[in-house]
Amino acid sequence: MTPDSGIAVGTRPTVQAPAPELAGWAGAATAVHAIQQMPMPMTLRLHVADHGVAHIDFAYNAFEWEHPLDAFPVTPASVLVETCTAEPDAPAFELPGRTLDPLLWSIGFHAFGDEPAPWLVEGHRYHLRRWPSLSGIEIDLDQVRMIAMLGNAFATADELAAAAHTPPSDARRLVNALSVAGMLRRSTAAPALDAAPASAHSVAPSTGLFARLRERWGH
Amino acid sequence: MIAQTTVSLAPHKDPFVIDLATVALHDLTDVAHTVRYATVLTEDGFEVDGVPAYEEDRLSSMASSIQALSEAVARELVIGRAHYVIIAADDAHVIQLRVPGQQLVLAAVFEVEETLGNALAACKYAAERFATALNAR
Amino acid sequence: MEHIILFAGPMGAGKTTAIQSLSDIPVISTEAANTDRATADKATTTVALDYGEIHVSDEERIRMYGIPGQRRFDFMWRILRDRAEGMVLLIHNDGPDPVDAMREFMIEFADLCERGGVAVGITRMDVAPGPILTHYTDVLERDRPDLMVPVMPVDPRDRGNMEMLMMCLIANIEMRAAYSAVPA
Repeated sequence: MTPDSGIAVGTRPTVQAPAPELAGWAGAATAVHAIQQMPMPMTLRLHVADHGVAHIDFAYNAFEWEHPLDAFPVTPASVLVETCTAEPDAPAFELPGRTLDPLLWSIGFHAFGDEPAPWLVEGHRYHLRRWPSLSGIEIDLDQVRMIAMLGNAFATADELAAAAHTPPSDARRLVNALSVAGMLRRSTAAPALDAAPASAHSVAPSTGLFARLRERWGH
Repeated sequence: MIAQTTVSLAPHKDPFVIDLATVALHDLTDVAHTVRYATVLTEDGFEVDGVPAYEEDRLSSMASSIQALSEAVARELVIGRAHYVIIAADDAHVIQLRVPGQQLVLAAVFEVEETLGNALAACKYAAERFATALNAR
Repeated sequence: MEHIILFAGPMGAGKTTAIQSLSDIPVISTEAANTDRATADKATTTVALDYGEIHVSDEERIRMYGIPGQRRFDFMWRILRDRAEGMVLLIHNDGPDPVDAMREFMIEFADLCERGGVAVGITRMDVAPGPILTHYTDVLERDRPDLMVPVMPVDPRDRGNMEMLMMCLIANIEMRAAYSAVPA
């Protein structure tokens, strides 16, 4: 299994930072993905039209932005991307800042519409490296189920959609979001996700404690 | 209303309370020679004193839990205040009760040949004298 | 049908409060006056267990047991963990060594984590500077790469936060049971 990386470890980075202005969040997502492949620590400033500047310090898994994430601008007029090399032991802003997971999730979720991110290879299966922090953003319980599936099995986006009984576009957006947030590892050798595992009764969306509790709590 | 035994020091660190606890435990062992071990503990499980000196204070922690559970049962069943707890085992009996009006519990392990009535009476006697001495502060 | 979920974590992490946020019944608590103010500056502490319930339906409920956080009550941990199918682990971020505390509880409840599941809620992250989230997730990823553990900041007073943490736990328990074979 190879890590989700565009470069070989120990070489000079061959992934170029994107041009400073691309449509909407696609440029930002691509820049984030590129930075995650770089061995040197970087910071990122995203100039979001009419919404100020989001400043990301990857070394501290934090960002600062005056804009609240629960009103994330889905289709801003532009997002200018500015990359900077981080100073050693010098956070780009006063810590603790805000936890980075929700911002990267939001960027990845809205960057490429219903299509997979350009660096995701068809046929590759993905598995969570770790669970994303879900506080502070709107996330529905179908997404929680899909995250839990990816936390316990490798799957392509389409396999995930089939197992979770959700539209393929929902699964693709989720995989995009997790990929931009740096939470996925990939495999070319993992077997296909079984859409009907041995305990299928417990994981079908309409049965199991998860489904019943969801209904009880009105989500 | 549970009274505080001290203003600034936790009971298990207050020399005044510790000294009185020692007296109470000796009151107990003086009237009941079948005490295998006895302790005074704070209601959150710290030992104030124990006789004989004991390497571990596991009894204090467990007695704290038992006391809280017994009082919770009485409260939930709405049957009034819990007075004491008896654990009758093959080789010994454990009796514990709250020191009246205090955030302290007296717990004692008696040899199995002791009658429960005598054991309980001895514990009550020691606990009440202890409470009286604390209130005289 | 009944399910048992344990609420674990060090003293002062918010276990009692979390159960109160979720419970459909008045919580049965075993609070005693706290004489150890140096460890946690609060008036009372749990010395046996907290008990609450979530009524999923007339025939199904989740029993929530909160354990005392202090190690001197670890006999209660042993009593309760064997009955549980999952665990909510709450860690307060402003504690003396919260990441280490998380590791200790993960070790103490390793069997429960493996056969069921665990979700970690970090409380008081907004109160004072402390470890950032990746400090916790990096340790979990390193110590237990075989486990997928939801970790998120939560306010135990916030029912929405606690519902999300509980849903993540249950989703993970179910999916782990369904897809338990993961290739290396």
